[in-house]
Amino acid sequence: MPALADINETLTRFYINRAVSDVFRTMLGREPTISQCFDRMPGDDAPSTIEHHRPQIVGTVGFFGEVNGLVYLHLDLTFARICTCHLLDMTEAALDEAGDDVINDAIGELTNMTVGSFKNGLCDSGYSCKLTIPSIVRGSNFVIEPISSATRQIYYFDCEEHRVIADILIQRDE
Amino acid sequence: MRYKVLTVDDSKTVRIIVKKAFKPYDCEIREAANGVEGLAVAAKESPDLILLDVTMPVMDGVEMLTKLKADPALKGIPVMMLTAEGGRDNVLKIAKIGVRDYLVKPFKEEVLIEKCGRIIDLKPLTEGPAKSKSIFDPADILVVEDKPAIVQQIQDGLKHTPWKIRGVVAQGEAIDACTRQPPDVVLVSLSLAEEAAFTLFRLLRTNVKTKYTPVFALVVKTETQQQQQAQTVGFSAIITKPIDTGELETKIAKAMNLDTSQRYYATEHECLVLRLPENCTAPVLAEAAHYLKPKFTEAVDAGHNKVVIDVHQLRSLHMGVIKLLFQAMQTCRELAMQFALVANAQIISECKGFEDTRGWTFYDSLDEAKANLGKTAPAPSASPLAAAAA
Repeated sequence: MPALADINETLTRFYINRAVSDVFRTMLGREPTISQCFDRMPGDDAPSTIEHHRPQIVGTVGFFGEVNGLVYLHLDLTFARICTCHLLDMTEAALDEAGDDVINDAIGELTNMTVGSFKNGLCDSGYSCKLTIPSIVRGSNFVIEPISSATRQIYYFDCEEHRVIADILIQRDE
Repeated sequence: MRYKVLTVDDSKTVRIIVKKAFKPYDCEIREAANGVEGLAVAAKESPDLILLDVTMPVMDGVEMLTKLKADPALKGIPVMMLTAEGGRDNVLKIAKIGVRDYLVKPFKEEVLIEKCGRIIDLKPLTEGPAKSKSIFDPADILVVEDKPAIVQQIQDGLKHTPWKIRGVVAQGEAIDACTRQPPDVVLVSLSLAEEAAFTLFRLLRTNVKTKYTPVFALVVKTETQQQQQAQTVGFSAIITKPIDTGELETKIAKAMNLDTSQRYYATEHECLVLRLPENCTAPVLAEAAHYLKPKFTEAVDAGHNKVVIDVHQLRSLHMGVIKLLFQAMQTCRELAMQFALVANAQIISECKGFEDTRGWTFYDSLDEAKANLGKTAPAPSASPLAAAAA
């Protein structure tokens, strides 16, 4: 297995860009592009935080094995609803009737596909790992803070008028 | 046979997408949210194919697959992995347990269907007992031919139909066209270079969207060896060059199972009209005769008991036409329907020349015939031809 230090920002950016692009293009017919990124190494004083001004749905899937980490995928609620309607071929009215669980499940699956694609890249680079089951966080005012031994990279994707944020935490303890 | 497909995935979203993808096909979808449920449904339903995720709670896909392959009653069920777990080593490990295919998420529904179509014989769902397509409905005909003159000839010959004739020159273009929008019928020239027509035929037959699409071979009349080869391979029909577009139209209609009765039968003001065209060839008469009884019965069932047999477009009378007219009149008598005949002067005069048809009464126009329906005595039936038609 190569050293964990070899999973640098360039590699991470390549895999997450490929993953988000593949998933959003294949499943939703959209073309997201990276607009900003933040990179924080373990021990950095100022943790990057993601500020939200609108209700959010955040999907989380972890990967464990020769490399351990988590990816949070942030979508604002409006976009999450659009994605769900597209995936399930539903109208907004039908989605209102179906309830929040349907949105949670759809965003959980989008996150699962995105993190799956990301971690498959890591696997093929020699870091064998497996996925965890997705979970969902919903809210308007929250902060996700990493433990100090993790690196954190945050990628902002523009997806037409919407924004998708991929927040990647990788455990650096060898 | 209706196939059963079991989708095992903890995500309801994926299960819904799978159901959506299979909706146009004649198969039933069963669902399970984890490996334990999956094994139970597999044992109860004996599905023809299992689509299996890897990462699931309670029991994951790898454990389910291992147990499935260890069970003599279930091990024969083909399994296709449908999962975000796609690292090379993991795929190889899972493949060794025994899977027929592996599709890594994200996935396109068309790709899922195409892969499944290689494992089970997916048939497009025909929409219930809805009325069959008619000759007046639009259809999409793809002509794969490198000679533009032939494509033009087909377009000109079929321009009176509502069919859209698209021409492409090469195999690759044909595949692209079929993928974008599967045509109703494909015509392929056997003279394409390097036996491309046969390669294309095989590709169309292995694609789930075109596996039941009628594919005709276009071949020069004297190329008998190629014609035999096309028949052996399984082309739906052979169309010889020079092309008889009338024959082509009939064959296309037959291959598409079109209802062509409207060419000859119409209900006008509660009266059934049987109208023969100017040129009544043997296939035309056979087609008109094929619908005769059902159309007359349908009219009676709908409360219409009047028939006008209109041959005013007919250019000349011959035995085939006379037989059909006798058959129509005989059917009217059996169903107690009133009938009248309409013809042009030429046909009326020719009818006077035959013993069997001499006594027939004709009207000059449809309106006149309708106005006099019921007032005319039925034509005599005690002739050898009438007996033959009956």
